[in-house]
Amino acid sequence: MSTVNVSRRKFLGTTAVVGGGLVVGFSLSGCSRAPLPIEKTEGSLVPNAFLQITPDNVVRFYCPRDEMGQGVTTGLGTLICEELDYDPVNLDVAFAGVHSDYGIPGAGIQMTGGSGSIRAHYEQLRQVGADTRALLVEAAARDLGVARERITTADGHVLADGERHAYGRFVATAQTLTAQEGAPLKAPSEFRYIGKELPRIDSIAKATGTAQFGIDVDIPGMHHAVVVRSPVAGARLKSVDKTKARQMPGVTHVLEISSGVAVVAEKFWQAKTAAETIEPEWEDAPLGAVSTQTVRDDYQAGLQTDEGLVGPEEGDLDAGFAAAETVVESEYWVPYLAHAPLEPMNAVVKLENGEADLWTGTQSPTVAQGLVARFAGLEEEKVRVHNAYLGGGFGRRATMTHVIEATELAVATGKPIQLLWSRADDMRHGVYRPASLMRIKAGVDAEGHLSTWDAARVGGNITPDSIENLLPGLFPGLDASTVTWMAGLSDDLTKGWFADPSSVEGLHADYDFENLRVTHTTVDHGLPLTFWRSVGHSYTAFAKESMVDELAEAAGVDPIEFRLSNTKNNPRLHNVIRVAGERASRMRPGAGHHLGFAAHHSFATDVAQVAEVSVSSGKIRVHKVLCVVDCGTAVNPDVVRAQMEGGIMFGLTAALYGKLELENGAIRESNFHDYPILRMDEAPEVEVVILDNGTEPTGVGEPGLPPIAPAVANAVYLATGMRVRSLPFDLEASRVEGLSQWRVPPRDPFWPHSGRV
Amino acid sequence: MIEFELNGEAVRTDDDPNTPLLWVIRDTFKLKGSKYGCGAGLCGACTMHVDGVASRTCTLPVAAVANRRVTTIEGLGTPQDLHPLQAAWHEHSVPQCGYCQSGQIMSAAALLASNPTPSEAEIDAAMSGNICRCGCYPRIKKAIQSVGDTSLAYNAAAGREVNS
Repeated sequence: MSTVNVSRRKFLGTTAVVGGGLVVGFSLSGCSRAPLPIEKTEGSLVPNAFLQITPDNVVRFYCPRDEMGQGVTTGLGTLICEELDYDPVNLDVAFAGVHSDYGIPGAGIQMTGGSGSIRAHYEQLRQVGADTRALLVEAAARDLGVARERITTADGHVLADGERHAYGRFVATAQTLTAQEGAPLKAPSEFRYIGKELPRIDSIAKATGTAQFGIDVDIPGMHHAVVVRSPVAGARLKSVDKTKARQMPGVTHVLEISSGVAVVAEKFWQAKTAAETIEPEWEDAPLGAVSTQTVRDDYQAGLQTDEGLVGPEEGDLDAGFAAAETVVESEYWVPYLAHAPLEPMNAVVKLENGEADLWTGTQSPTVAQGLVARFAGLEEEKVRVHNAYLGGGFGRRATMTHVIEATELAVATGKPIQLLWSRADDMRHGVYRPASLMRIKAGVDAEGHLSTWDAARVGGNITPDSIENLLPGLFPGLDASTVTWMAGLSDDLTKGWFADPSSVEGLHADYDFENLRVTHTTVDHGLPLTFWRSVGHSYTAFAKESMVDELAEAAGVDPIEFRLSNTKNNPRLHNVIRVAGERASRMRPGAGHHLGFAAHHSFATDVAQVAEVSVSSGKIRVHKVLCVVDCGTAVNPDVVRAQMEGGIMFGLTAALYGKLELENGAIRESNFHDYPILRMDEAPEVEVVILDNGTEPTGVGEPGLPPIAPAVANAVYLATGMRVRSLPFDLEASRVEGLSQWRVPPRDPFWPHSGRV
Repeated sequence: MIEFELNGEAVRTDDDPNTPLLWVIRDTFKLKGSKYGCGAGLCGACTMHVDGVASRTCTLPVAAVANRRVTTIEGLGTPQDLHPLQAAWHEHSVPQCGYCQSGQIMSAAALLASNPTPSEAEIDAAMSGNICRCGCYPRIKKAIQSVGDTSLAYNAAAGREVNS
């Protein structure tokens, strides 16, 4: 019974975290009595789950969240160091194992996503630092015979009576004391590290090849595995001839597992070479009848029905449109996308004496542990998870088929297994950002108020597919049929009861609408979907901010003025628009360059962007991007800047190139030749302006992405007279498809400095 | 048996001669700094120097480096003895996830060895074979520019070639 209860608690917590907008989550404090997964050095102090301080003054931080490039080790380390009075540069960081103490505060499980790590731990880790500092001060007071009030701390040292003593000197006494909670926190004016541009904690390891990623794990006796999977998701194995592969050099096993046919060999290259000789036959699967055109046609049909679920609804649409001076209606299309992190999926699993060790870079150690437990038939506490640096995450590393595969193979072969996906495996057998067809009809009244907004989206649902992939790991004790039933419930809910918040987030927000409706129609062909950097915002911002530009033009108002006058109820967004607008008016684009504008609120953060773009021979070139962001307190402004830069590049890759095509249910793309990633010669200069308003920090990893596609689209319109309403940008194809339209370029440019003569 | 020089030391392997150099370095010699990203020479994560030339080793058979000099990121510098580019990577907080950075730095080191003060266009040309999915390009460019010709002086002082 206890397994069920624990799992239920985790499930409820998870929906709050990964579902973005779902509000059913609640918190129960873990209070687990399980031992901490910490290797304690002789004589060192472990005052809580997050810190270990050695007598020679090494401070090790057990980072509860996963480092996928977003700088979480630096950011969370800075929080704890601020109150501990320890220079973050000297912090020794380890990734936490699985334990309830490392769960997201208020959610319980260990998962990294939703641009939520700094937000979630901002209070908690500063308090941990302050309480630990208080403990050390108390120990120092006793050891030195000095009153606590006469002790100060700085840079990992106790200062008393003009003497300086390393914290490590007092850990022996500190171990004999009972740690108190609730030490007072610093006022922001006293911050020494928060708000400063400190170097990243992990940059030297990552510049010298010494940072260990999951793929770099190498343990004695380890065998290497490659899996051949069906080209069509969901197709079962019909037959396979393993004879040839078994005779290949180094091959020890060729066997069937749940996802396909696995080849195990002494070395990776041997496994891969042998796997290429295997040509399994697969059963038919429903997705096999689907191609990209099917998806588009079915979505188009879905948009015509009146059977969509109605989401948020306010005011009176009919009255709003009747009173509108200007009404514009447009449709927007975005394709399926892969995350394509540069490190392909991989995992090492070792089973020994009824216990398991898993090494992998994961966005959820809790789920990873549960998956190994489920597929190895062990209790969760018998599974140790050794998280590593993630070679990119972007949402992809919360789904862990690779962990299941490695576990099945470790069970079947009795050997430690390293399983590695190829790039093509990652492109073709993963989980995806959904394709979407959106329609927005909007009205502006005679006073220029964007009064009426009717938005619709057709596509698959992000949340149920993601939950389906997380459930087996969250509920390792529950039988498969119950898990399937629960996954189906989530699917049914979003098909028939309420629009999946993650799938429509951002489509109906930000502006001062008086009359509002959002409808959603689920059309799902079965390609597995999941969270992809900025989730629903990755496409809704494109539709919303393109439409806002169209409306501004139709109403004859400058697009920035139009946004300013319609965001009075959103002062923070209004402010980033204002600042970006002022800066844009001072930009001096080169000849033939044009400025496009977009703004969007996501993950509690407000971002406005100006893209300087030229179009030559149908090729779009983004020269510069100005990005204004309000993320509350910027714990490390340089990391915030890096995340804005990264979000812009990630969004530009999607806007310029990103698409996966289905052919008879199989994904056509396989590698970076046909799924291009932005390269250095195409990368724009990025200027980031951070408006630190002193309030609590908000999200940073994702909010830089959503505005870039519409900002570029709006500039492309000025450059070519063509509204591109389909991603990725393809000026020729867009014209043929009719989703975009040609117009005479505006003679009277909205942009005084847009370069148009 | 194939013999070559790996980071200054003579080594030999009896791996299949068709095995890409990347996997010989990673699985046989256990140097894990060079990464697998695409297996097709498209992303540059596997970049090493072969006789000083930046090479995509995920498609380069180990047989092709017989009796040649191979340098990996581990041979360029260490946390205690950083190559100037590695120091610049730290100073500019270049890495995000960090997975591509070994390859980026090896490409940059080969560029600076032949062209100590590259123009922006020359940096673009030399570095466009290396994908960074996190989008660190502006910082990579700045870090390379910051090193400029000082790398030659540094390495002359350290008694080694820039691209070894």
